[in-house]
Amino acid sequence: MADTQETKLLGKHQLEKALYEEHKAVSSGRLKEENPLDTSAEFRRLCEACRRGDLKVIQEQIGKGININARDEYDYTPLILASLCGHYEVVQMLLEQGSLCERDTFQGERCLYNALNDRIRNLLLSYDYSKSTDPLQPLAAHITGLLAREIPKTADIAVHTGEATFDLHKFVLSARSPFFAKKLAAAPETTSWRLSSSVPTQSFETCIRYLYLGDVGADLGDGEEEQAILSGIDKLSRQLEVPQLFDNLLHSGDRRQARQRRTEEVEKGRDHIAAWFEQNVLRHKLEVDSEKANAVKWDRDNGIFADVLLRADDPEDDDNGDDEAESATPDPAPTVRQTDGPLNRIPIGAFQHPSRSPSRKRRPKRSSVLYPAHRAMLLRSEVFATMFASPFREGQSSTHLQIVPVDCTPEVLEVILTFLYTEKADFGLGLALDVLHAADMLFLEKLKQRAALLISTLGNGSASVVEAENPRGETDLLDVVDIYDVIRAGWDTRVHRLEEFGARYIAYRLERYIDEPEFKALVRESAGRIRGRQETDTVELVDDVRYYLSERFRLRFEDAGLDDLLDEGEGEGRGAPLAELADAPLAPPDNDAGAKVEGVEDEGYSGSPPKATAEADGAFAPDIEALEAQGVVRTLDGEIAGDEFAQDAINYQILLGKIERLMENLGLDG
Amino acid sequence: MPIIAAGTMANAKNQGLNGADVDFETTWGILEKAFQEIHTKNASALSFEELYRNAYKIVLKKKGEELYNHVAQFEESWLGNTVRVEIVRHLTALLMLGEGTGRTMNTQTERREAGERFLKSLKGAWEDHQVCMGMLTDVLMYMDRVYCTDHRQPSIFAKSMGLFRDQILRTPVRQGSPTLLQILTRIILDQIQMDRDGEAIDQFLIKANVYMLEGLYDSDQEVEDDKLYLRTFELEFLHSSAEFYREEGERLLKESDAGTYCRHAKRRIDEENDRCRSTLSESTTPKIQRVVEDELIRHKMKGLIEMETGVAFMVENDKFHELSLVFDLEARVDPKKPELTKAMHKLITELGTNINNTAITASQTPAQPATTEEAGDDAQGKSKGGSAKAINQQTVAALKWVEDILSLKDRFDHVCKASFASDQAVSTAINRSMADIINAFSRGSEYISLFIDDNMKKGIKNKSEAEIDTTLEKAITILRYLSDKDIFETYYKKHLCKRLLLKKSQSIDVEKQMISRMKIELGNSFTLKLEAMFKDMTLSEELANGYRSHVRNLGDVDPRRMDLGINVLTAMTWPLEAFRGAGEHEGNEGKAQVIYPPSIDKVRLGFEHYYSETHSGRRLTWQTNMGDADIKGTFPKSKGGKTRSYDINCSTYAMLILLLFNDLPADQSISLEEIQVRTNISMNDLTRNLQSLSVAPKTRVLLKTPMSREVKAGDRFSFNEGFKSEYIKVKVGVVSAGNKVEGDRERKETEKKNNDSRSFAIEAAVVRIMKARKDLSHAQLLTETISQLSAQFKPDVNMIKKRIESLIEREYLERIEEAPVASYRYLA
Repeated sequence: MADTQETKLLGKHQLEKALYEEHKAVSSGRLKEENPLDTSAEFRRLCEACRRGDLKVIQEQIGKGININARDEYDYTPLILASLCGHYEVVQMLLEQGSLCERDTFQGERCLYNALNDRIRNLLLSYDYSKSTDPLQPLAAHITGLLAREIPKTADIAVHTGEATFDLHKFVLSARSPFFAKKLAAAPETTSWRLSSSVPTQSFETCIRYLYLGDVGADLGDGEEEQAILSGIDKLSRQLEVPQLFDNLLHSGDRRQARQRRTEEVEKGRDHIAAWFEQNVLRHKLEVDSEKANAVKWDRDNGIFADVLLRADDPEDDDNGDDEAESATPDPAPTVRQTDGPLNRIPIGAFQHPSRSPSRKRRPKRSSVLYPAHRAMLLRSEVFATMFASPFREGQSSTHLQIVPVDCTPEVLEVILTFLYTEKADFGLGLALDVLHAADMLFLEKLKQRAALLISTLGNGSASVVEAENPRGETDLLDVVDIYDVIRAGWDTRVHRLEEFGARYIAYRLERYIDEPEFKALVRESAGRIRGRQETDTVELVDDVRYYLSERFRLRFEDAGLDDLLDEGEGEGRGAPLAELADAPLAPPDNDAGAKVEGVEDEGYSGSPPKATAEADGAFAPDIEALEAQGVVRTLDGEIAGDEFAQDAINYQILLGKIERLMENLGLDG
Repeated sequence: MPIIAAGTMANAKNQGLNGADVDFETTWGILEKAFQEIHTKNASALSFEELYRNAYKIVLKKKGEELYNHVAQFEESWLGNTVRVEIVRHLTALLMLGEGTGRTMNTQTERREAGERFLKSLKGAWEDHQVCMGMLTDVLMYMDRVYCTDHRQPSIFAKSMGLFRDQILRTPVRQGSPTLLQILTRIILDQIQMDRDGEAIDQFLIKANVYMLEGLYDSDQEVEDDKLYLRTFELEFLHSSAEFYREEGERLLKESDAGTYCRHAKRRIDEENDRCRSTLSESTTPKIQRVVEDELIRHKMKGLIEMETGVAFMVENDKFHELSLVFDLEARVDPKKPELTKAMHKLITELGTNINNTAITASQTPAQPATTEEAGDDAQGKSKGGSAKAINQQTVAALKWVEDILSLKDRFDHVCKASFASDQAVSTAINRSMADIINAFSRGSEYISLFIDDNMKKGIKNKSEAEIDTTLEKAITILRYLSDKDIFETYYKKHLCKRLLLKKSQSIDVEKQMISRMKIELGNSFTLKLEAMFKDMTLSEELANGYRSHVRNLGDVDPRRMDLGINVLTAMTWPLEAFRGAGEHEGNEGKAQVIYPPSIDKVRLGFEHYYSETHSGRRLTWQTNMGDADIKGTFPKSKGGKTRSYDINCSTYAMLILLLFNDLPADQSISLEEIQVRTNISMNDLTRNLQSLSVAPKTRVLLKTPMSREVKAGDRFSFNEGFKSEYIKVKVGVVSAGNKVEGDRERKETEKKNNDSRSFAIEAAVVRIMKARKDLSHAQLLTETISQLSAQFKPDVNMIKKRIESLIEREYLERIEEAPVASYRYLA
């Protein structure tokens, strides 16, 4: 495979050499294999979807946790396949989810070389590793940043070394260091800890940075000083039971190795925190009657070091009863705890042991869920950061933990918490819209984008490529999303992706929506949005719909080799307008052009199209599917078309005409 | 997975979009109440989450604009109805004062306290507003991010700051009265005035108010340059400061001396700097500094320097510290220090002109007899004593001039170093002024050369090497300033020539040292001829030795044969005319050769023969007038003694005269005319030599009849058998071969010669330039010529023009007729 590769920047021999060395490094264990071989059926499915450009399947497969940087038995990675086959959106999605395309590596150069067009190539280049960030980087940066953050105060333990004092967070220490986990479990109320003075402060500082997911390996002075610091670190890493730290410091390899190790470390750190989060935060969530929720009192010195309670209420009009199917998994005795000690003074107040006895609940009329949380992590949301730093009630200290309501369902809150603690954002389509709104409210841009991505990939009944094969607007079985909500949510939360998605979705099923009053309302809303901003006369939604509509039919024409057909028609001197139409679908075709189109190929249909559309307005009611079932090729207005092409062309005109009329009705210029 | 989600999807719709329909009025009611609480500092019980959620919902419901406007209205009415009233309450007493009539009625303390009360209330209002708006901004975060960004509205914080400005600062207190901003400005200025007058004020209070002005902008577009502080207060402040300092400066100039003024100005500048730091804004520092500098320094510097106690006074009284203050002040406003350098220049020129005048008078007063002496050559003998003295005085004047100039320079160098931190601009000015006065003195070149001459002959005796070094350095220092170096060269050559030939120099080493210093200072070409003189001296010595051994080798050693010491001098290098008597200026080249007695002539011819053997084609001209001779004179026994014999050292002429008496019986005498005929020595030299031989008491080897001081025609001379001397060696001096200051005629001659040589130099330079450039405009040619010659002298433009004219005549150049500016072309 390698011998077919050529690049502009590296010569073949250089690449081969690099490849050889990489193999050597991998086989000797110095370098982690970035693209491990994966022959599982799931991965094959993912690769197949990448070939076809099936966004939905890809999203589903990724959701299952497949390594998107793996390779198949022909050394193809999903990214290479997608860029080779020219699926821009797929490439973008893969890159967003962490696919690697690094310059100066074999796979990276190969991917660039294979890109179908410049657009994709430029996209790949813009995601070059040096520019793109490790997906976990924001989390790591935040946790490291806690060390320097003073307002609002979140630290709850002070560690004194000989000369300095470090304000640290018990939950981080406990999550990252087994030593601290044991210590703190035994005495959760500890607020200070003294370090043996024989260890240099700088050693401890390095250890702390490591525990807080910081980048260690900066220079540590020189000569004797370095020796002292290193031996101090060695000692500490054994004491704190984090042996990797010392090993890491000793191995400083080249840039790539260092980066791999760093990525690995951050991932491991995240896993620690994720495990801790699950074991402690999620496990200790309380389910209470909404009316009594605010009476819950937690002491400050609790076993999981929480310093705030977040409250989410179940929807009021919840009547189907299965709302707790997910949340009510009673686990009366948290025996599998990381900490062995007693959870002294966990909740007191109205419920003496609510977490231990949720099973006795008698399904309150409206229940709320309380999540114990750590402000330090909530700060990742600007809203929480402002809240805890403000002079309002939430910013003041109180004897018992404050309960802060969050305006969303418990499921959504859990998604948000999981994201804040672990950077993981795996949730179902069902929650996506709610998560989108909540994330918007809390200024969690990344989570918002994830939700939008989820909606725009999974929410669509069929993937984009598949849509092209569905020009007749057949309804989907999986039509679960209220498309109006999606578009409105896109507007509200300013996610352009959703607006686009919605317009496309509607365009491909326009015949279903065009006559609904809700669609009309939506168009009016869209027009209002624009007018509110500045005086222009286009309606964005309609423009988008027109664009995707033309795309829908154009693809169809091209696929069928209509161009050839038109070439034949050229002799008759009447084909040109259609060619124009097909080639420049963006230009809104006027009715004259439409008339000629039909003239070219329609033998079965007579009568002028404008008139036809006018008639169609009132006449469009019959059950199309029923007609189709009869095997008769008919246009949307029920006329019987000569063949499918004719049908398509007529349908296109009919739909355009309908939009025109809609606009006229609304008194808008198109 | 997505399939199950249908149910919750519906929920989302209900909840987030249509379900909980937000009633704007109710929600706003909640918010308004909370805002009220916040403004009355009662916020601790409020829930951030609740307020945020409500504001968020309103914005999400597309009611952002309404919310924004409501908040703005709320703030406006709060500021206008509550805050302003409170501030105005503190104002009533002050308003009186503000109208200006109160100035005298209120004591300063009362005024200050009233001002402080007002400032305090305003500061309080501002700080409260800041805090409250901070909280409101927190709560309305979603509105700021979403509504304000989308609709290009200023953030609610910025908006409310604008409201504060409009409601509090810009609204008149009551109809027709000034706004709070104007009052505030006036009060601050008043307080600053108090501060300047030395009264203690509350700086932090003012600073807090300045912070406020800095935090506000002139318009709602928060442009950095439009800060209210810059737009209103600072302008007023600078204006009133300028006025204050202008008055103060004028008063001080009248009332106090320059030193005090400087100290005061410096203190004021520091004070203003401190004030900016502690009371106002750092950004004002450069501006107010400029104002103070303008008013106290830039506009007053001239007056300050010209004060009675100004710079001249300071220099005179060695007030170095005060001078340095003046310097610091001027340096602050202008790196070139024009006023100070002008003052220094004036001062130096004044003092220098004094020195020059003194030197001229000193040289003229006693020059009276000298001129008479020059007028009458015949009367020379009589005025001998007086003229020697006069000449001496001239030398003294020259030495004094040099010393004075040097001490002047030293003094100002010291001032420059001690007070002006050896500033480049000032020291340049001093140097230029020194050059001016040195060159303004017409006899400068001569005096410098004389100074060196004197030192070479006498001054350096018994001096250590270091002292000699300083002396030489002094001479070089002055020399550096001299522009007409060619004239100096002429004089120096003359003086050097005499020192060398008459062996008057104390040390040849020092002479050579001097030459090498000049070489470093003035360049190779300058010392070329001087070095050639030294070379001639060395060569001559070798030649004489060679000749001596040549004679010895001839074999027949005649014991009576004379020994010959000789200096062969290159005619062009040596200024031999220096030795010609003052009366023999007409070229006596053609005059008849002196008649040598045969014994001498033999030696002469012998040497000529020897010389032409080694150096063919050269002509030797004997300069008998410069030679001297050692002869042994034997005198017969006197009464109680034995035969005396003396070694007599005399000039060659004297030797020739004395030799005449060898063959003469002791009692016979020869007349003056006879001597002249027999020796063919010019009458002038003859009388002078005879005078020394027969009149000077210590060397009266001849007897003259009649005995008188002057040698006159018809006098007769005879051998003085009774000559006695305490010493074996007798030196017969020759009257007035002196090389003292030149007489007027000599000077004219020197000048003329100098001008001639300059003409050649100029012509040479012009031709050189034109040869290289072919075509050149007149102006360019002039500049280039001047620059080429500047190392030697400062050419006179007229002279250059004449030379060019002459070159055109001689067809070296021609005028280019068609050229737009006068130009020349070189003719090959």
